[in-house]
Amino acid sequence: MDIFLAFLLRGIQVSAPIAFASLGAVFSERGGVVNIGLEGTMIVTTFAVVWGSITFNSSLVGVIIAIIAGTLIAAIHAVATITYKVDQIVSGVAINILALGISRFLSQNIFGQETQTPFNSNVPPAPFGVNIYALLLIPIAIIAWFVLYKTVFGLRLRSVGENPESADTVGINVHMMRYAGVLISGAMCGLSAATLYPSQWVSGMTGGRGFIALAAMIFGRWHPIGAVLASMLFGYAETFRIMFETQIPIPGQFVQMFPYVLAVVVLAGIVGKARAPAADGLPYEKGED
Amino acid sequence: MRKPTINRYSILSLLAPVFGFVTAMIILLIIVIAIGKNPGEAVAAILRMTTSSASRFGTVVSQAIPLYIAGIAVAFAFKGGVFNIGVEGQYFVGGLVGAIAGIYLKLPSIIHIPVVVLFAMAGGALWAAIPAYLKVKRGVHEVITTIMFNNIAIYLVNYLVNVPLSGFTGGESLEPQTKAIQSTALFGKLNGFFQALGWKIGNHVYLDYSLIVAIVMGFIVWFVLFKTRYGFDVRAVGTALDASHFAGIRIGRVQIGTFLMSGALAGLIGLQEIFAIRGYYTYEIAAGVGFDGIAIALIGRNNPIGVVFAALLFSFLKQAGYGLQLYVGIANSVSYVITGLMILIIVIANEVMTRYIRRLRRQEAG
Repeated sequence: MDIFLAFLLRGIQVSAPIAFASLGAVFSERGGVVNIGLEGTMIVTTFAVVWGSITFNSSLVGVIIAIIAGTLIAAIHAVATITYKVDQIVSGVAINILALGISRFLSQNIFGQETQTPFNSNVPPAPFGVNIYALLLIPIAIIAWFVLYKTVFGLRLRSVGENPESADTVGINVHMMRYAGVLISGAMCGLSAATLYPSQWVSGMTGGRGFIALAAMIFGRWHPIGAVLASMLFGYAETFRIMFETQIPIPGQFVQMFPYVLAVVVLAGIVGKARAPAADGLPYEKGED
Repeated sequence: MRKPTINRYSILSLLAPVFGFVTAMIILLIIVIAIGKNPGEAVAAILRMTTSSASRFGTVVSQAIPLYIAGIAVAFAFKGGVFNIGVEGQYFVGGLVGAIAGIYLKLPSIIHIPVVVLFAMAGGALWAAIPAYLKVKRGVHEVITTIMFNNIAIYLVNYLVNVPLSGFTGGESLEPQTKAIQSTALFGKLNGFFQALGWKIGNHVYLDYSLIVAIVMGFIVWFVLFKTRYGFDVRAVGTALDASHFAGIRIGRVQIGTFLMSGALAGLIGLQEIFAIRGYYTYEIAAGVGFDGIAIALIGRNNPIGVVFAALLFSFLKQAGYGLQLYVGIANSVSYVITGLMILIIVIANEVMTRYIRRLRRQEAG
């Protein structure tokens, strides 16, 4: 029983960084913007949370700074893809390269080491051994669902991702709604960073979680609750590996690749049911120029 | 009347990369000043590292080879409307399949080298096959499947190198690696040839057979895309899906072919590092080249000639980063910052320029 409880709690902790990024991706894509730069955004926020916590001697300030940093990186993506209508994948790729450089360059110039920071002792409280922000995952997911499906803002955001022309006709500011979606996705990466490993930044620590978050979002059919459940599937698969790897009779590498294989299998199976917002990935240009 | 206008437009559209590069360099100098270093010394360091001697420039060319192959791999896919983010995984797998042929087959050199090249291509194409199939037959977006396959590839090659193919002897190196590739499959250098032509590059620079592979593949891509019926279909599918459908092009078949070809090209990216530099395979080969390839393809406008310049530009920036680190003590990660910014500025400038050209055309049309 004890080990089961430990597994449950550990799983929340491991799932949270993916789940928050995935929730962010839902907002961005529901508004019609694909954000493949989530990985890079997380690289910057994981650095920002450590830097902020050390510099201001407070984990809360660190998390706030991470949220701001994530929003700023997302703002670059928003300006490029919404205002200038740059290809969304290309902008995301550029942001991933840029973010790698920013975090390493800052680490070198602030802490004198390019690939890691010193340890940070100002970490968020951890009741039951679980990062407090990770415990907020479920309430935040419910809030996200409420915002997206029960508020005017959510309705407008979704309409802009489905049919920007009609949304525009009824007076919704398409660009502004899309900016909101993208900026939320960046802010969510701040929460990802708060739950990943706020006691030290190491280059490469995000390990592709931003990409997994995108898969989880599709897997969860662009729905906040679905995205969080899919993230938890990845997270618990990973937790299972961490806790029981030595007792599994198959090579660790196959256990590690399992979530990705699972994602491909599931994506191949649920197709037809999973449908992206109709205008997802397409820039919107008002009238003629 | 028509011809000169088209030329004027194409000159205008060339402005974006130039503008992006210049702006990125200005930002670099601002960063240099901001961290209290001397911008003059920074410029001198960049030039010293990249163009001060035949060998230094040769190194820029050498490091552009894998970048070029990555660029044409992505560009070919782009032309057919396929977004191959999986180049990264395809070259890890392709390189390993090529290395297996290099380690375990016993052949004379003249056959062995082409064989490892073909094996590497087959490995890359194999790794692209499932995402290609899922895209065409099941409608699963390739961006997501290829990202998943990148991650699967990392663990797969990790397992294969550590367990069944391990050549780890515990001797000089702690790096997990395969057995040594046979000498008949190793890539020799072309330095002697270039020296005979009067280009005084040192023997330490890697201008090896992978350069020939890159040139041949660049030519093949250009020829297939622009001189064959199949290439016409690829470009038609890439630019106008619906129209191609009504024109009777079998879209699924063309896209699968495009995807496999892109994967096959991607399989060649690691050749230089594996067959010329290391002489064995390890999963520690340079990562991230697949993602660089996306930006390189874009800046080179998906054209095999344009990609040459884009790859040289990326290689130049990487070397510039090393120069800044070596001579001025600036972290070379600044080259990633500059590269990322440059891509963004170029694509934004491209959009602005395209809109401007469209407006000019409309005015001319009356």
